[in-house]
Amino acid sequence: MSAPQPALRLRGIGRSFPGVRAVDDVDLDLFAGEIHALVGENGAGKSTLANIAFGALRADEGTVEAAGTVGLVHQHFQLVGRLSVWQNVLLGREPRRGWRIDARQARERVSGLAQQNGLEIEPDAYVDELPVGVQQRVELLRELEREPAVLLLDEPTAALAPAEIDSFFKTITALAQRGTAIMIVTHKLQEVIAYSKRVSVMRHGRITGRFETAATSIDEIARAMVGGDLPTVAQRAAVTHTPCFRMENVTAGSGGTAIRGISLEVAAGEIVGIAGVEGNGQTTLTDAVAGMIPHTGTVTFASAQVRTGVIPQDRHREGLVLGWSIVENAILGRQRSRGIRRGVMIDRQAAREDAQRIVRSLDVRAASLDAPVKTLSGGNQQKIVVGRALLGDPQFVLAYQPTRGIDVGAAALVQSRLIEARNAGAAVLLISFELDEVLALADRVLVMYRGAIAGSFSGAQIDRARIGRLMAGSAA
Amino acid sequence: MIQLRRALGGPVGAILLAFFLAACAMLVAGVSPLDGFSALFVGSLGGRQQIAETLVQTTALLFPALGISLAFRAGLFNIGAEGQLLIGALACGAVGAHFAAPTPLAIFVLLACGFVGGGIWGGIAGWLRAQFNANEIISTLMLNFVAISLATYLVSGPLKSPAAVGAETAPLPAASWLPLLIPDTRLSIGLIIAILAAFVLRWLFTRTVFGYELRASGEAPDAARRNGVNMPRTTLLALTLSGAIAGLGGATIVTGVLHRFNTQLSPGYGYTAIAVALVGDLNPLWVCLAAFGFGILEAGGLAMQALADVPKDAIHVIEGLIILVLAARRYIATRAEAAPI
Repeated sequence: MSAPQPALRLRGIGRSFPGVRAVDDVDLDLFAGEIHALVGENGAGKSTLANIAFGALRADEGTVEAAGTVGLVHQHFQLVGRLSVWQNVLLGREPRRGWRIDARQARERVSGLAQQNGLEIEPDAYVDELPVGVQQRVELLRELEREPAVLLLDEPTAALAPAEIDSFFKTITALAQRGTAIMIVTHKLQEVIAYSKRVSVMRHGRITGRFETAATSIDEIARAMVGGDLPTVAQRAAVTHTPCFRMENVTAGSGGTAIRGISLEVAAGEIVGIAGVEGNGQTTLTDAVAGMIPHTGTVTFASAQVRTGVIPQDRHREGLVLGWSIVENAILGRQRSRGIRRGVMIDRQAAREDAQRIVRSLDVRAASLDAPVKTLSGGNQQKIVVGRALLGDPQFVLAYQPTRGIDVGAAALVQSRLIEARNAGAAVLLISFELDEVLALADRVLVMYRGAIAGSFSGAQIDRARIGRLMAGSAA
Repeated sequence: MIQLRRALGGPVGAILLAFFLAACAMLVAGVSPLDGFSALFVGSLGGRQQIAETLVQTTALLFPALGISLAFRAGLFNIGAEGQLLIGALACGAVGAHFAAPTPLAIFVLLACGFVGGGIWGGIAGWLRAQFNANEIISTLMLNFVAISLATYLVSGPLKSPAAVGAETAPLPAASWLPLLIPDTRLSIGLIIAILAAFVLRWLFTRTVFGYELRASGEAPDAARRNGVNMPRTTLLALTLSGAIAGLGGATIVTGVLHRFNTQLSPGYGYTAIAVALVGDLNPLWVCLAAFGFGILEAGGLAMQALADVPKDAIHVIEGLIILVLAARRYIATRAEAAPI
């Protein structure tokens, strides 16, 4: 019996960056028609391997053989915000009529492709006005347009809502059935179990486990990922509640992401979780809380001197200065606070100590504190943003998708830190599209739907099924 | 070894490549590149007078280049250093012509006039940007034209020295002149002030809260805004300070070199300084080195014209080529590193 020819064949791949052996002697085969999951901790080398397979990075050693085009959907979207959907999808390969772009044909081609793959999209919408989930469809369409034999997806569901994840995998599964070899790089082990055929686990640049999905379990994969048992999440302790943050009848934003008449309260020592599908006004809510946008109604803190920590939604744009070192980023937002500021100067020793504290408390993997954060993996960047928000005993923490894009071990660590902050008396407003996360962390759960609070649950009343129905818009 | 390779791939390589291309251009024009370049270097470094003149040019370029670096680091494209320098020089010259005081006080006051004058000129663009989000590239450029017209009007009218033939202010009393660094040359201690300014700027960037916020607003405006940086204030301060440093440069030309103000005092220092700042990678200490390099070109250019019959404009070709090669190199570098890790 002759084995089928792989669509993508990696042999002995190695790649180093200054101070790190990112990928070390990796062999990997992808076959037509299979969904292959590549899992591993942040910084294990998954993205590097995907980029080498795609051809965006050169390997120091080893060979890459592909039986056709290779497509890659990046973790961080590579879209032109001010172009429309079809302009992005066909960028560089626009159909022409003479010297002009044939816009009608282009639109038809994009809608046809979208329909064929079961992706709902408006070809003329501007990309920067679309929610993240839809932007990803644009990324996916752009790759599909090239009819790749191999499709690599780097953290494809990191930004998607549960319903979007289902439809995303429907698309991917159909694509595999039509003969595309697919590899998803992910942290989400439930998805791995539910949709993949085979799993490869990476750790410190090497493949440390290969499993047939049908014959393995989440536990087994997780242990291979972290090289041992998972850290457990901290326990919630009983604390007294005094009001810390309150918003009353707040209306802000416009269009689909507007919020209307939102009132909520967060007391010291509690985590209030906002459950909801992405695109129901969470970003506007976050901006209103952070005071970044005009709004009606009132947003008040218990006192004017409340120390706040913010985990913003877009760590790249809003959370970090990518060209800066960990030390410089460690104090961003607190550059004027006591302990950092000394007259007109910055206390560099204090900044370095803060950076050390962040790195230690969240296990950030970096070559050095002076490494630019753009050289870190996405998960490690997120850890810096989280660690910084929780530094200096904040009294109010605004956490938007705090575990976005980070692996199970690191996510447990981040969740523990949030609970510890709560136990220490912080008021935490948690916004997450992962219901499991909200349920695991929150003392009270508010459901957001179409810009308003659709339901509120606390303690024993928290009911997963009812919350799920409210998130989907049905009156529970 | 690696450092040498990086330097060759960096600014040094760019300069060598630019000289090579300039040599090709000279060949085409029928001049021996050897004659041309030897005239350039003899004219700029061949003796005490020549070196002093090179350093005079270095000083004149360094101030505006430092100002530009500050604005660029804040993400603000101040291309109005020429106008800011001119207004600083004008303020200094106008006050200096009628101001008599003992040397240290006179110099301090006159330099302060230049600092404030340039600061106001830069500050106008900063205020427009902070208040109305007016694009600073346009406003600073336009203010250059306003500055030159204003200066021309003032020195041919209200401020014109009755004794002067051309359009210029009355000369400064000798007590207001900057002391010379090398006797019997035109080189004053303005050079020392410029180098000190570079160190102060470096300190500002790396050690102060203001410098930190300024760099944040330049490198990642969204992150800066989210993290408590008052963007309008930073913008206003950055352009004001940027203009002030350029204006200080204008004042050192007046008190240190010409001892009066006239509108021909800058052959475009504010524009060449953009290239100086970029070649110096917006890093104050490297900018000093870049200013020296451009100082050689500026000072040697005249000699090249006189001795080797190469038009002085050829110098501008070399300057342009350096910028072009550097820009191309940076583009290639970003493309190679574009892939995420």
